[in-house]
Amino acid sequence: MHSEPLLQIAGLNLRYGSSHVLHDISLTLGARPLTILGRNGMGKTSLCNAIIGLAPHFSGSIRLAGTELTGLTPEHRARLGIGYVPQGRRIFRSLSVEEHLTIVAQKGGDWTIERVYETFPRLKERRRNLGDRLSGGEQQMLAISRALLLNPRLLVLDEPTEGLAPAIVSDVVALVREVSQQGMAVLMVEQNLHAALAAVEDAAILVGGEIVEHMSAQALATDPAMQKRHLALELA
Amino acid sequence: MKNAPLLAVLLALPLFLNDFWLTQVATRALILGITALSLSFLATYLGVVSFAQAMMAGIAGYTIAYFGPNTVAIGWELPFWLSIPLALVLATLAGALTGLVARRSRGIYAIMITLAIGVAFFYLTRQNYSLFNGWTGFSGVRAPQVFGLNLRAPVPLYLMTLAVAVAALVLVAGFVRSPLGLTIQALRDAPGRVRALGIPALGPIVAAFAFSGFIAGAGGILNVWYNERISSFSVGLGPIIDILIICVIGGLRHPAGAFIGAIAFVLLETFAVDLIDRDRFNTLIGLVLLAIVMLAPNGLQGMAAALVARLRPRAATPKTSI
Amino acid sequence: MTLFFIVTLNGLTLAALYFLAATGFSLIFGLMRTVNMAHGALLLLGGYVGFSVVEATGSWGLGVIAGGLAAALAGALVQFGILGWMQGDELRQTLASIAISIIMADLMLWHWGGITYQVTLPELLSGGQRLPLLGVGYASIRLALMAFALVIGVALWFLIQKTRFGAVIRAGVDDQAMLRALGFPIKRIFISVFALGGMLAGMAGVVAASALSIAPGTDLQFLLSSLVVVIVGGMGSVGGAALGALLVGLAEQYGLAYAPTYGAVFTFAIMVLVLAVRPQGLLGRAEK
Repeated sequence: MHSEPLLQIAGLNLRYGSSHVLHDISLTLGARPLTILGRNGMGKTSLCNAIIGLAPHFSGSIRLAGTELTGLTPEHRARLGIGYVPQGRRIFRSLSVEEHLTIVAQKGGDWTIERVYETFPRLKERRRNLGDRLSGGEQQMLAISRALLLNPRLLVLDEPTEGLAPAIVSDVVALVREVSQQGMAVLMVEQNLHAALAAVEDAAILVGGEIVEHMSAQALATDPAMQKRHLALELA
Repeated sequence: MKNAPLLAVLLALPLFLNDFWLTQVATRALILGITALSLSFLATYLGVVSFAQAMMAGIAGYTIAYFGPNTVAIGWELPFWLSIPLALVLATLAGALTGLVARRSRGIYAIMITLAIGVAFFYLTRQNYSLFNGWTGFSGVRAPQVFGLNLRAPVPLYLMTLAVAVAALVLVAGFVRSPLGLTIQALRDAPGRVRALGIPALGPIVAAFAFSGFIAGAGGILNVWYNERISSFSVGLGPIIDILIICVIGGLRHPAGAFIGAIAFVLLETFAVDLIDRDRFNTLIGLVLLAIVMLAPNGLQGMAAALVARLRPRAATPKTSI
Repeated sequence: MTLFFIVTLNGLTLAALYFLAATGFSLIFGLMRTVNMAHGALLLLGGYVGFSVVEATGSWGLGVIAGGLAAALAGALVQFGILGWMQGDELRQTLASIAISIIMADLMLWHWGGITYQVTLPELLSGGQRLPLLGVGYASIRLALMAFALVIGVALWFLIQKTRFGAVIRAGVDDQAMLRALGFPIKRIFISVFALGGMLAGMAGVVAASALSIAPGTDLQFLLSSLVVVIVGGMGSVGGAALGALLVGLAEQYGLAYAPTYGAVFTFAIMVLVLAVRPQGLLGRAEK
């Protein structure tokens, strides 16, 4: 039986000029959803960009279901099955909600515009509104829906709970759980420890561009000392 | 003075070259180089590619024509020691004005705005007869006699042009090292940070454009004396693009590139006739520009520098590199 | 008073042409940040091809279509063959497009010569119309040109605001990297938009050759007007191009009529004024 993990990263290094942003990252992602935790500036977004193809200069290997992604354009990678929910949501400000959905919607596949509207009735109400007229929570729902409509094999979320109200954070968590239970692989980069641990099953901790811990979410949730060592904000 | 041998060769050129080579090639290349220097200065140190340099040079040239001897009976004659400073002042002002208009623009925006300024000036000279004499422009614009020396003769014209070129390069080098010049380079590299430090950006930008107008003006004066005429064609798209091509051929990242580009351009222009139909010179120069942009974005000067850098490590590299 | 009406109509004619020329330029700039200096050359190419086709077939409509298609093809080739390879390096693209415009202008001069061309008008459009209310006669072709610009403007607005392709273009203007990360083939979209911009320029060329005339130098005239129009109106928007074209076209004709030797100064003054007050153009969005 073919048992290659969906996402396989080996020896990934990323440099911007003289700074070494990612250092020898190796990780695999299969059916169990994974969160990558770390404080600001630890290389989380750079890791996402390397997977998506927005940070082209790196050494090492990133494979999706056995296909080497190195050297492929972002559009090519998206068509291979990566859905991307970027940090800051990056909603197109001059497109309406509906247009966001119609430009990515495909025939066939689990996620359709109807299902998005059922999942997020709020988006249906606001479907004529332009992207820059939405609240942060609405934008996040739209950003996730936009990625889901590609019906990707792997969903990459970069800080999806950033700046959201607690009620909306739990909506996002519930949705991530739902899609991963339905078989979509999930990689969620987060700073919000509790949201991330509630949403996924495994956790890796990124410090200074290196993965320093890799464990189950449950183990991390019950280890306050480790949380404090790597993730707590240092207050001056 | 590491450039002393080069300068000695340039000073000795009149001994070796006949009038054709001296005037048509050497003097012409130097004049074009001076005007192009005004652009490569802006491009190198302010990071702005301006298409308004032909306009600045043209304003100086028109001033000399209007206030000097000409054969179209327009304007009034002033002594050269008045008309020359006046031409330089007006060119400097034109530069300052361009800087004022384009002060907030970078990159392609600056290109669009300066191109619009340059071409608008071209149309103005074509439409206006009271100051610019329209299509025909001015002819019979003769370089003056200074202390009995006829500046129209090949050797004096060459030596004067060489002197101006050297002076312009020295001025640029001095300007770049001055506090103002350093501010300009800081604005090029990190405009936001400079403004955040509370250093006003407007003054330095306008000053850089004004300075480039001064240099362009010097080139413009020499050019009108060289051609003995000036018309709207002297400030049209042709000359605008020629200046740009010279800088691109030479490389936009170093002021000296302007002169390297000017020599290459003049040689190409002089000898292309032997290679292709004279009428298709523009196609040739367009292809040269395209090839350089596609293959060697840093121009000939950049290619030479890259070559030197590649050869040097093998020759003598102190073992300090990491 | 009659003079004023005629001058106003001339201004509107010119504005219609400037709009047709500038809107493609603006579209390309808005999406790709490419300043296509060969835009004027594309317009002139369209004009020449349109002229030749009208001469050969006798059909004016066919000439407009052929001119548009020729320039669309040339535009697509320029993006596919040259500019697409330096995407993101705006200065290099600008320089390369200047080189292309020099080469195109020279080759067109070679083929069509230095003479002035005017497209033979169909019967319907030759002659003039007596305008009600204003009480002045005006050339039918010029009135048709204004109507044509209006139709193109509305069609373009519809394409960009109401179709899926238009939504993709707007998304690309907003955030190109995000659009790519969603799987959109950006290279193909760029080539299509370049073809669209070229088509608009080419049709403008044929119409310019019908309502006025074309000759070497027409390319420069329309490149300059396109630059000023998008600087004044704001980059990347159809409405901005329309407003900019209206201001520049009218100013130029009033200038020509009432201060004939300083006409160019008016265009320039408008640009400077707008830059001083609103650097992003009247309808432009501020750069991030």
